[in-house]
Amino acid sequence: MNQRIQTGPYVFRRYVSLAAKNLRRRPVRTGLTVAGVALAVTVAVSLGGFMLGYRGAVEKSINMLGFQVMIMAKGCPYEAATMMLKGGTGLLYLPADTYDRVKSDPEIETITPIFVGVAQKQGSSIRDDAGASNFTVVNGIDVRGYRVMKPWTVFKKGSGYDNGRWFAPDASDEVVLGFEAAEYEQRKVGDTFYASITPAGQPDPVMHEFKVVGVLDRTGTQDDGTVFLPIDVARRYFGRPDQLTILGIKLKQFNAFKMREFETRWLKLPEVQVVGLQQVKNTLVSLVATAQTMIAAVAAIAIIVALIGVVNTILMSVYERTAEIGIMKALGARRESIFQLIWLETVMICLAGGIAGSLAAILGSGLVERAIKALADLGVAGSVVNITPAVIVYAVSGAVALGFFSGLYPAWRASSMRPVEAIGKGA
Amino acid sequence: MNDIVIEGRGLKRYYRRGSETVKALDGVDISIRAGEIVSILGPSGSGKTTLINVLSCLDAPTEGTLLVAGKSVAGLPEEKLVEVRRGTLGFVFQQFALLPTLTVIENVELPLTFLDRRVDRQRTLHILDTVGLMDRASHLPRELSGGQMQRVAIARALIGEPRILVADEPTGNLDTKTGEAIIDLFKLLAHEEGIAILLTTHNPAFGYEAGRIITLSDGRIVKEEIGAPTTSGEGENLSPGASVNAMFRSLTRRVRTD
Repeated sequence: MNQRIQTGPYVFRRYVSLAAKNLRRRPVRTGLTVAGVALAVTVAVSLGGFMLGYRGAVEKSINMLGFQVMIMAKGCPYEAATMMLKGGTGLLYLPADTYDRVKSDPEIETITPIFVGVAQKQGSSIRDDAGASNFTVVNGIDVRGYRVMKPWTVFKKGSGYDNGRWFAPDASDEVVLGFEAAEYEQRKVGDTFYASITPAGQPDPVMHEFKVVGVLDRTGTQDDGTVFLPIDVARRYFGRPDQLTILGIKLKQFNAFKMREFETRWLKLPEVQVVGLQQVKNTLVSLVATAQTMIAAVAAIAIIVALIGVVNTILMSVYERTAEIGIMKALGARRESIFQLIWLETVMICLAGGIAGSLAAILGSGLVERAIKALADLGVAGSVVNITPAVIVYAVSGAVALGFFSGLYPAWRASSMRPVEAIGKGA
Repeated sequence: MNDIVIEGRGLKRYYRRGSETVKALDGVDISIRAGEIVSILGPSGSGKTTLINVLSCLDAPTEGTLLVAGKSVAGLPEEKLVEVRRGTLGFVFQQFALLPTLTVIENVELPLTFLDRRVDRQRTLHILDTVGLMDRASHLPRELSGGQMQRVAIARALIGEPRILVADEPTGNLDTKTGEAIIDLFKLLAHEEGIAILLTTHNPAFGYEAGRIITLSDGRIVKEEIGAPTTSGEGENLSPGASVNAMFRSLTRRVRTD
């Protein structure tokens, strides 16, 4: 008897090898079951990535606005807020003197006026679709206040982009482009940029020629797709010399109490609303949370279906191998050995599904992002799907847990077989 | 060679089938010694398989006493019976019962996984050589003939170094020549290794090759005869001290091409 008794990792490796070979016996069935688990995991990972990504995108977009409070014309505050976050039309305007009245508030640390307009780019592109018309968001800004609000804003470097700078406050022919706006138009510093702007009350647009004096580096926000002009120039070109769109405000002390005080003070102005961006953030997140709950329900259904599929596959496999299990028992397999073997097969199916599903979710995240954005207006720019390693770890662990759970019954059935009956059934 | 490895007294195995009680075994007394080959003959339904299931601890008798390798096993539950089987009993089945996704060598080593024993590849190869399948070690069962598969099953039964080898219709799916080779191998294992061999067969010609022949009818022993001596029928070509390997190679030469 020179055969040494073995326990632990050696025996476990032998079981893993045996379980893997059992699964290869019916490759199509095993493959389909793995695919079912993978599908459920893909949905779950994509959802997890969306939940994280969207929350992060909202957070980032709002933080990158640089201010905590907006004063704007009365209307839907969330529509106004998302317009700032993502761009849009249907703009409402404030009287320009609102700025002069509010800026003296002692609680204000910084205030900057922003004028937002939409210009038509026509025949301005050097791309193949030069004849096509499209729109771009134009932000008229006060550079001094804007830079205080967004100190992280820097100019893009590199060949053709060096020496970028902000325009002079009264320069009527200078423009700064956001990162994506420049990429789309294939413009560099020193290039010419054309935009058609229809002044308020006028039927026809007026073509303006600008010199690109700077291209901003990527920020991951709406600013990337924006064209910046001096605020007074923008107001003049859009035919609204006495109006502005938003006052962005940073308070010296920002909390719910101070916010309420500030709001009460300035709501007395006619045609004005005060919007706290924390409130906007919470509302945006909770609005999408409803959709996320529905997707989570779909994911839960997919997981339940996958679970049933796994149980069914392993049970079928157990029934098919009834005689074989009886023979294993005759050969010395204890009840727990059979349980462990069948359980391992289930866990391996789910582990493979977990890994495959996670990979599919990672590879398909761009597609999912495009689909989500096509189906719903999420109110933020930038990526809304963020599949982190933690999401993958949770998903794969969840799939393994699914395997542990779904393997219990088939493993119990197999291990409970009496060898004499099992061998007899297979004969 | 006189050690009793199985001893059963008054063995009964009754089943309920609806309102009817089926007496599959109805008071069987039997003892088997180490190195002895006992074949159990009888028509279908006579209780052959039930008897070897009970004697090999796969099933428990309804009544009677049973000692296997010195341990009293009557009335033990399956959890205890498996402990008796482990390392004491080896099994060969009519349908070979090889795992289709495992190679020959992996099938042979399978019981070691369940017995928590480390694989000794040299020993496995030695056993494969014994059954004449060295050149088929890496083949899958579907690439083997019936005789080769049965020899793999025998090798698998031997890997755990059993004291008792139980073979239920081991020649049932084999042609006569291959069946003879398998029976001769059993003789050698009994003679050289002292393994007690208990086999059932429908074929009286194979049955009478055993050292003792027990005939069952309606769950009772109706005849017990002394058969052939426990040595190879091909002994004329083999020296008395020849190894099991050499003898089996000689025996299986005629079936290598099956």
